[in-house]
Amino acid sequence: MSSGNAIEVKNVSKNFRLYHEKRTSVYETIIGMFNKKKYYEELQVLKNISFSVKKGEMFGIIGRNGSGKTTLLRIMAGIYQPDTGNVITNGSLTPFLGLGAGFQVELTAKANIVLYGILLGFSRKIIEKRVDDIIKFAELEKFADTKLKNFSSGMYARLAFSTAVQVDPDILIIDEVLQVGDLAFQTKSYETILSFKKRGKSIVFVTHDLSSVQQHCDRVMFLNRGTVSSIGDPIKVVEDYKKSSLPYE
Amino acid sequence: MSILKELWNKRSLIWSFATSDLKIRYRNSVLGFFWTVLEPLLMLAVLYVVFTSLFPSTIENFGLYLLLGIILWNALTRGTEIGLHSILGRSSLVNQIYFPREIPAISASITSFLMVVFEFVVFIIFMIVFRFIPPNTIIYLPLVILLEFVLITGLCLPLSVLNVRFRDMQFIWRLVLQVGFFLTPIFYKLDRLPENIQMILKYSPMVQIVDMAHDVTIYGKMPSVESVETTVALVLVITLICYLIFRIAEKRVIEEL
Repeated sequence: MSSGNAIEVKNVSKNFRLYHEKRTSVYETIIGMFNKKKYYEELQVLKNISFSVKKGEMFGIIGRNGSGKTTLLRIMAGIYQPDTGNVITNGSLTPFLGLGAGFQVELTAKANIVLYGILLGFSRKIIEKRVDDIIKFAELEKFADTKLKNFSSGMYARLAFSTAVQVDPDILIIDEVLQVGDLAFQTKSYETILSFKKRGKSIVFVTHDLSSVQQHCDRVMFLNRGTVSSIGDPIKVVEDYKKSSLPYE
Repeated sequence: MSILKELWNKRSLIWSFATSDLKIRYRNSVLGFFWTVLEPLLMLAVLYVVFTSLFPSTIENFGLYLLLGIILWNALTRGTEIGLHSILGRSSLVNQIYFPREIPAISASITSFLMVVFEFVVFIIFMIVFRFIPPNTIIYLPLVILLEFVLITGLCLPLSVLNVRFRDMQFIWRLVLQVGFFLTPIFYKLDRLPENIQMILKYSPMVQIVDMAHDVTIYGKMPSVESVETTVALVLVITLICYLIFRIAEKRVIEEL
């Protein structure tokens, strides 16, 4: 791969099985063997997707619901295996696909930061040193020893976001999670993300917030029913997307 | 080999899964980790009463014999039960963050190992109560336990992914365990069984492991070279087969969650 790229996605396709009758037990599977009728349909979610994200670039992905954005991010993060094609990443990658994956509501905020940090690839020692900074960034000093089940959803999201940005990855993958917290925290999150970019890190960014896409992204890809509809200049691609979303074309 | 390296790099994660499982299980209860030992003790009490007053057992040091068997069998039951739910119970997590799919199963095995360590504290207390001085061969007990944990890890691997696809896997497995409990020399000695059945049971790794543990801990007897070889071979073959099943079954497992 050329050294200027952080991520290269080559000819990635992905099918999902759409079950008519889901066989979720051994019993049903054995019975089903005698029933030759096909019990699922293949749904092609991604069709031959190729693109690359340059180092230090903020790359936006837009598209309607169900167009394959999240699936694509999951493949980039290594969570799903593509059926064909491959993804090459250059540098450490932190996916930020949902808020507080792996948070345990029965444990305190501090314990959860450690847990989440380890999940994202920290060693225990390093994350334990940074716990206080993270709590401070999240503005949750008062609640450091509170169990997570007593947190509001905004506090929860702030804690998750603050931990994730501490990882300081080379590539950050974000899926529609920045619209959390109050206005002040949203501004802070955006600033943090932009500071990543300034330091030469790459960001892949999925959102429905078109104005922020046009404002912040260097390049944008419009994903339409699993294919790349257009890619390039944010203003132009967002226009394409808006046009295709009109009820009568 | 690369998977071993990756697992080594993620050892913090393996350990944190294993310990957080423990914490969540016991931190919220008043008696804390005493619940871990309460369960085997209750079973011990019942079996002890039955086999000393109802059907008197002729086994030497029957109390310790029973407790050791129960601890080892419980390790298998609990380890595999935690293993069964190790991926399913983390569905939101595995959907959002990548880590090797082996990790939940390995952590489950470690959790049950940690619980066994607690239970051996109780075992030592019982040795004192019964004024039992263990033979020198007890130094081999950790090796027997290690072997059991290789087996538990092996079993947890396919169980963790198969339980995602087949939700009745847990019921099937519970049946297997129930039958296994009676086919393992926990409250009887293997030589009480007819010889042809003994011949078959020799190929159960748990029978061998429990038998060896009894020999080295209570009777000061070294297991025969033949039985050690058979057991090691059995455990390794089972673990390998389990791993292969795991590799096949893990492919689409995250999407099926």
